[in-house]
Amino acid sequence: MPQGDYIELHRKRYGYRLDHFERKRKKEAREVHKRSATAQKALGIKGKMFAKKRYAEKAQMKKTLAMHEESSSRRKVDDDVREGAVPAYLLDRDNTTRAKVLSNTIKQKRKEKAGKWEVPLPKVRPVAEDEMFKVLRSGKRKTKQWKRMVTKATFVGPGFTRKPPKYERFIRPTGLRFTKAHVTHPELKCTFNLEIIGVKKNPNGQMYTYLGVLTKGTIIEVNVSELGLVTPAGKVVWGKYAQVTNNPENDGCVNAVLLV
Amino acid sequence: MVQYNFKKITVVPNGKDFIDIILSRTQRQTPTVVHKGYAISRLRQFYMRKVKYTQQNFHEKLSTIIDEFPRLDDIHPFYSDLLHVLYNKDHYKLALGQINTARNLISKISKDYVKLLKYGDSLYRCKCLKVAALGRMCTVIKRIGPSLAYLEQIRQHMARLPSIDPNTRTILICGYPNVGKSSFINKITRADVDVQPYAFTTKSLFVGHTDYKYLRYQVIDTPGILDRPFEDRNIIEMCSITALAHLRAAVLFFLDVSGSCGYSIAQQAALFHSIKSLFMNKPLTIVCNKIDLQPLESIPEEDMKLVMEMKAEAMKTVIGQGGEPTNDEDVLLSMSTLTEDGVIAVKNAACERLLNQRVELKMKSKKINDCLNRFHVAIPKTRDQKERPPCIPQAVLEAKAKQAAEKVNRKTEKDLEEENGGAGVYSASLKKNYILANDEWKEDIMPEILDGHNVYDFVDVDILQRLEELEQEEGLRQAEEDDDDFEMDGKELTPEELRALAEIRKKKTLLIQQHRIKKSTAESRPTVPRKFDKDKEFTTKRMGRQLSALGLDPSLAINRARSKSRGRKRERSLDRGDTDGDVMDMDVDTPNKKQRLRSLSRSRSRSRSRPPTEVVPGEGFKDVAQKGKALKLAKKSVKKRNKDARRGEADRVIPTLKPKHLFSGKRSTGKTDRR
Repeated sequence: MPQGDYIELHRKRYGYRLDHFERKRKKEAREVHKRSATAQKALGIKGKMFAKKRYAEKAQMKKTLAMHEESSSRRKVDDDVREGAVPAYLLDRDNTTRAKVLSNTIKQKRKEKAGKWEVPLPKVRPVAEDEMFKVLRSGKRKTKQWKRMVTKATFVGPGFTRKPPKYERFIRPTGLRFTKAHVTHPELKCTFNLEIIGVKKNPNGQMYTYLGVLTKGTIIEVNVSELGLVTPAGKVVWGKYAQVTNNPENDGCVNAVLLV
Repeated sequence: MVQYNFKKITVVPNGKDFIDIILSRTQRQTPTVVHKGYAISRLRQFYMRKVKYTQQNFHEKLSTIIDEFPRLDDIHPFYSDLLHVLYNKDHYKLALGQINTARNLISKISKDYVKLLKYGDSLYRCKCLKVAALGRMCTVIKRIGPSLAYLEQIRQHMARLPSIDPNTRTILICGYPNVGKSSFINKITRADVDVQPYAFTTKSLFVGHTDYKYLRYQVIDTPGILDRPFEDRNIIEMCSITALAHLRAAVLFFLDVSGSCGYSIAQQAALFHSIKSLFMNKPLTIVCNKIDLQPLESIPEEDMKLVMEMKAEAMKTVIGQGGEPTNDEDVLLSMSTLTEDGVIAVKNAACERLLNQRVELKMKSKKINDCLNRFHVAIPKTRDQKERPPCIPQAVLEAKAKQAAEKVNRKTEKDLEEENGGAGVYSASLKKNYILANDEWKEDIMPEILDGHNVYDFVDVDILQRLEELEQEEGLRQAEEDDDDFEMDGKELTPEELRALAEIRKKKTLLIQQHRIKKSTAESRPTVPRKFDKDKEFTTKRMGRQLSALGLDPSLAINRARSKSRGRKRERSLDRGDTDGDVMDMDVDTPNKKQRLRSLSRSRSRSRSRPPTEVVPGEGFKDVAQKGKALKLAKKSVKKRNKDARRGEADRVIPTLKPKHLFSGKRSTGKTDRR
């Protein structure tokens, strides 16, 4: 026992006070009443927080109880077929994952030709023009109103040079430009911070695609060379499409799901 | 000097508490009321403040953690090694590094989101951004949760480390386990270390303090060391090794000569030789303990040889460093902590040698010259064989002797008590020490109550003094009254003078009255030049009155004034132009007499204005006569007003120069005439 542990030393020498354990037991017994008192008294956000915490505790408790009961109680065996189960006559075949990938790439190519994609977010809320753009007044008397500022997050390619202000119709503010996206691989269930290569399609219109506006549902192309994906032919894939799943201008970041 | 006190490090909250503390602080210390209708800049500012404030708090808290935990490179090597042994340096640095990274990350997040908030265009968007910012900050903190927990544990452990000062006089006790190290420290200090009859009872360093020659010595008890390779030693042993390696102390190597600790003398000697490099330049003493079980003299021959070998080694360690033993008995000492035989001798020998070494080292150091050259002890050179003792005058010697004698002779109250029957019988009289004018009064009985009154109420100690004061005051006052007796003897005014005075006063009051009237109506009165004589005060009558009042004859002045004033206007003679008007008459058809006259007097180039009475169509007059009459009436009606210089309807009016409604409040865009 180190020199500084006064309490332990005292306990070692003199033991606990006589009613220590009785007091402890009583305190524990009173705890529930105290808790209920706080639960009844807590108002507003504190009440909500308390209720949430209590709910989580109770759920956990129930789960634990159920787990303990599981070993003793009898129940019906579920007849659901597990994923990946194969009938007996197919057991001798070994299914190749490679074939699946191959067919997938073929499908992808076809779809690309058709210009249609089965995407995680099939429907998006249309964004009106006055929500998308803010009108800027120009001219000496501020009477001209032909300039527009994009109020959403945008992607601007590295080679972009501004036009002279006199001819610049659309302004994409530097503060709202994004170059990286958090892309989730739906099968691997993990997220990577990848660079955006370009905006493939903005569902709100062709113009927004050209402007590189990133709204919810936009298809972007991301640089996946870090992931080390390989085409069936053995080439390293470096560009892949992903769909934006959040409102970047509200969240301050771009989240996307990789389209596979 | 640096104090090594790790007790003051602030508590490191765990990840969840940390977040709760910061967020509730933000909630409490920043404004909470915001509405959609506010100006967008105000909304942005509201949320930016929240983000920035949260970041500041995180930064502050994390900075305290980083600053308060000791940096292992900066503290004394003893402590840095001890902390390395106890907590692992890499782990410790990693944890602090993570905290630092988190601090930077949070700063970056805050910067990014403040930048984005500048583009927020609605309350909803600003709020979303704020939520995202705070959320990301909290995630960062949640990730460093394990580091925070680790640091908190270290903090608690560090606070309980014994406060060892690595630079002070120190005695270090080391040896195999169970050789009686803790018993020894318990004997010479009040450290109160646990002593048990098994190995490794002491698991960490213990500190006690002892005194020798009025100086305080720090005694450190170390856990036992086993004789094995350095890498195999466990944390407990490493504590001892660290202390041995880094503290400049007097080392006591304990040797159990009886072998009751479970290790033979040969084993202990082996340990001594394996760690002897740690004893270099330190006064080392070998202490043979437990001589009550087996005296040192009676140990076997080969063991005695080993002991002597160790003694020879111990002698070598300090040669040339100061602290050499005066005799070689100081290096090998024997004692028994059970019978307390030789314990104090061991302590004294160790302290003495340490002190010698430290003094010698100090004398050798460069700094000592700065101190030494300030001292000078003057001792006169001896001239001859004559003895020159200090000279004390005879009178002084006598006085001293007398004083000493008096001191002895004085009878104290205690002596009196003894003489008069001892305690309980003798009652000391307090009255005998009274200081009174007459010694006979000492035993007098003084009544406290007399005729139902407390005597003391009527006692006034300094009544005489007060009486004197009163008399003095009275004398002063009388003298003053004598001085004040004389009167002002002015002459009585004659009736004439009185009249003049009355006159003067009357005039004065009149002037004051007039002035007041003028002043009270100053604003509503038009300012009129004096020559118009609005109040009709500049008249000859008044002038005459005033002059005669001054005793002058006014007739001359009045006459002159009258002669200067203009009488009635001279009539314009009508026959002026008639004499030479024939030339023009021939080709001009004169409309009336007046026009014709004027044409004569003025040059032709000048245009003529229309006469006021001429009737212009649309004015509503029938003819010239009617217009003339109307004009005359109008003129007459304003004549009086004009003469008084009063305001008429034609006067230009500016009702208020600075109207209130134009000079208060804010002006919105483009409006200057109303607010």
